[in-house]
Amino acid sequence: MRKLAWINFKYGFKQYLSLVISLAFTVLVLFNFQNLICSGAFEILGTRNREYVEMIINMITFVLVCFMFFFIWYSTDVFLTRRKKEIGIYVFMGLSNEKIGKLYFLETVFTGLWALFLGLFFGALSSGLFQMILLAISDLTVEIHFRPGLKPVFVTAGIYGAVYLIFAVKGYVNLVRSSVLGMISAAKQNEYVRQSKAILFIKSAAGTAVLGSGYYLAVKRDQGGAMGNALAAVALVTAGVYLLFGGLIPLIFQTAAGNKRFLYKNQRILWVNSLIFRMKKNYRTYAMVSILLLCSVTALATSFAMRGRYDSIIRFENTYTFQLLSPWQELDEQAAAVIGDGNDIVVRSRIPLLCVDPSYVNTKYPDSRYTILSWSDLKELARETGMEFPIAPLGDDQIVKISHLYLMSLITDKSGITVAIGGRTYSQVEDISIPYMGYLQENMNFYVVNDEEYRRLRSFGEELYACSYRIGDPGNFMETRDRLDRFVAGLEDGHTARVAIDPESNELDWVKVMYSVCIFMFLVFVLASGSIMFMKLYNDAFEEKGRCQVMLKMGFDRGTLKKAMKAELAVAYGLPFAVMGISSFFSVGALARMMFTDLTGVNLVSVAAVLGILVLWYGLSLQACEKNAGL
Amino acid sequence: MNHVEEKNNMTTAPAQRVHVAVVKNLIKTYGGKGFQTRVLKGIDLDICRNDFIAVMGPSGSGKTTLLNILSTIDKPTQGTVILDGQDITRVSNRELSRLRRDKIGFVFQDYNLLDTMTLQDNIALPLSLSGVSGKECVEKVRKLASLLGIEEHLKKYPYQLSGGQRQRGATCRALVTEPEIIFADEPTGALDSKSGRELLECFKMVNDRGQATILMVTHDPFCASYAKDVYILSDGKILCRLSRGGDRKEFYDRIIDVQTSMGGDFLCQ
Repeated sequence: MRKLAWINFKYGFKQYLSLVISLAFTVLVLFNFQNLICSGAFEILGTRNREYVEMIINMITFVLVCFMFFFIWYSTDVFLTRRKKEIGIYVFMGLSNEKIGKLYFLETVFTGLWALFLGLFFGALSSGLFQMILLAISDLTVEIHFRPGLKPVFVTAGIYGAVYLIFAVKGYVNLVRSSVLGMISAAKQNEYVRQSKAILFIKSAAGTAVLGSGYYLAVKRDQGGAMGNALAAVALVTAGVYLLFGGLIPLIFQTAAGNKRFLYKNQRILWVNSLIFRMKKNYRTYAMVSILLLCSVTALATSFAMRGRYDSIIRFENTYTFQLLSPWQELDEQAAAVIGDGNDIVVRSRIPLLCVDPSYVNTKYPDSRYTILSWSDLKELARETGMEFPIAPLGDDQIVKISHLYLMSLITDKSGITVAIGGRTYSQVEDISIPYMGYLQENMNFYVVNDEEYRRLRSFGEELYACSYRIGDPGNFMETRDRLDRFVAGLEDGHTARVAIDPESNELDWVKVMYSVCIFMFLVFVLASGSIMFMKLYNDAFEEKGRCQVMLKMGFDRGTLKKAMKAELAVAYGLPFAVMGISSFFSVGALARMMFTDLTGVNLVSVAAVLGILVLWYGLSLQACEKNAGL
Repeated sequence: MNHVEEKNNMTTAPAQRVHVAVVKNLIKTYGGKGFQTRVLKGIDLDICRNDFIAVMGPSGSGKTTLLNILSTIDKPTQGTVILDGQDITRVSNRELSRLRRDKIGFVFQDYNLLDTMTLQDNIALPLSLSGVSGKECVEKVRKLASLLGIEEHLKKYPYQLSGGQRQRGATCRALVTEPEIIFADEPTGALDSKSGRELLECFKMVNDRGQATILMVTHDPFCASYAKDVYILSDGKILCRLSRGGDRKEFYDRIIDVQTSMGGDFLCQ
């Protein structure tokens, strides 16, 4: 039995090739991520950064394992259907279902082992390159280790082996339970064809409702439940896309095919009928590809958005190099003299602020620091520093929050927020993140009230002065900081606090890693969706060969048949792309809401990037399909 | 001309017969130097409008080769085939494709309907791809389907039809472009006797109505008896030509007689 399985595997290698390559690819990706954790490449970033990066990579690994699960499920399923008919013939040679199942199991194991070996081999070869590219995109200077350890090999082999074994056993069970007729006619299963309109209507209605709910939840603003909404949206959009391809899209095509004036134009009679014919068999593939493309475009948009946000946060935090908080107004001049010794002070500001005792603030976070600014003082600071000032004059019961830049926030709805300070309830009319107070905004809650309210609230806290400076040459940071520390230590009051922001700090370097990891995920998803589509079309094209030969015999020229094939492939790629494009508006929209920014441009660029790669896949598929169909 | 003509009960030929295809000294050789096999050895044949010709012969007599050459699928080694006024041995492959699409209808033994589309779309396919408007396609398909008794099956897919219905569908497809000639390769070969008879009645009807010129290759005398003329091929040559005249049954008996007289391989078909 083992010998027969090996012979089958050896001689059917070309048939197995697409499966082996796609499986090896998933192994390679998983291995590279595991190797990244084990390589110690991120030690240099410091413990906090390293922990963040490892957490991200572990999350990515989880996503990859989920992806691997579905990918192996899909590819082994396609493979089983193809092989079922061939090995089903052994029934006539007297082999029992169990033996045929065992034969398939062994062949599958050979394939799996081959894929594992190739994946690990090329994974090990490419691991250095992978690290290099990842770190180069992340703009990090780290020593790269080209020697992969054993741990990532075992972890990858363990995860892959476990998932693969599940589906090899599933195939075995499937064959053992198959009827002889089922095996022989396996290749023809699911091809027929025109589905009941009533069922399609029900599926369409359900799909539209489910997808619509998913889209709604994705963009719904929420005061804290955004994560729950996002998870529900993912589940609903996934289900909705499946129902869409199982219901609405076949319904549209069937209705179109019923309209003969539409159908009998150009080559539509060929490709529209062909799509309908295969829709029942292929709709899961289209849905899966749509979702993978959606993951891919969201990963790329996240990557661009993260990069943009990283730069903004760095700029935000470095608005000032030094900040002093002191009860004495005169400190400003003295500190400026100390800092300005040998430095250009390029930005300088001073503003009074009121540190309110948290006990006067009705809040869920009693340990936070609450600070009040007056509208006029802040306007003056904005004028001094050249920052914009979009805050309109405030009423007595109005308040504006000055936030820092979040990487992401799960509170996406900031409307209707009220803040009670000193016995008065203010309604928060705006939440803006302009770095008036620089790094201090990271650690303190700043609110702006009108000047009268500011005066009224003085009795609930202590008034301090925030003096902020940015030096022109970051190279002087250390020296200036030491000088300033000596100056602050020499002050007699003991109430002055100093904040120094190192322009060279790598505190946020983990965000850069996330940026490049997201690009990599984009590539993984887009290549996976392309290869799934390619495999599907490649196989379908074999079935076309007979039909094409008949039509050529009847005198239809190759050009006509090629045009029909072009149209069919364009629709096959175009449908998931269109669904992805529409859905990305909501997924990237959800991201934009969590980041409080407009990502329309990022969305469009990401969709364009996916389109570019799909066009390449389309070209490849067209060539392969024309060849397989004998055109 | 090598063939012997039997003209018992032969009908009076029309005063002026229009040629659809003219074959002169057709020779087809397969194989290379030293291994040459001459399959057709100088066939002469005139096919006129509204003819219904059956070509019979034992295995290896060259029936299918003759059909393939006449239908432009294969090329002769020597000789000329004039179809639609053009010598098909001298025109480009592109022109041959056009000829096949516009001037020739095919009925294959295994139907060759496309399983991806309904019967209606299968029949409309040649018209649709030739740029005929949707409305005209639908009208023509309906008319023909009604004529051949398959109108009620138009919405069905080939797998939902019986063999006879499929073959009548294939005949509709062959007729729909109103070709100069229909080539039928063992059209009843995959059918049961009832379905075969129904199909042949259809052939006869469209031929009698002047809607089709048919050249049919068959090994079945019963099938051949529906034709107006039967050419019997043997060893690459036309051995004889039988013409039906009036009664089909009597014609069938004559075909059987010739078959019996030839004996051997032919009877074994």
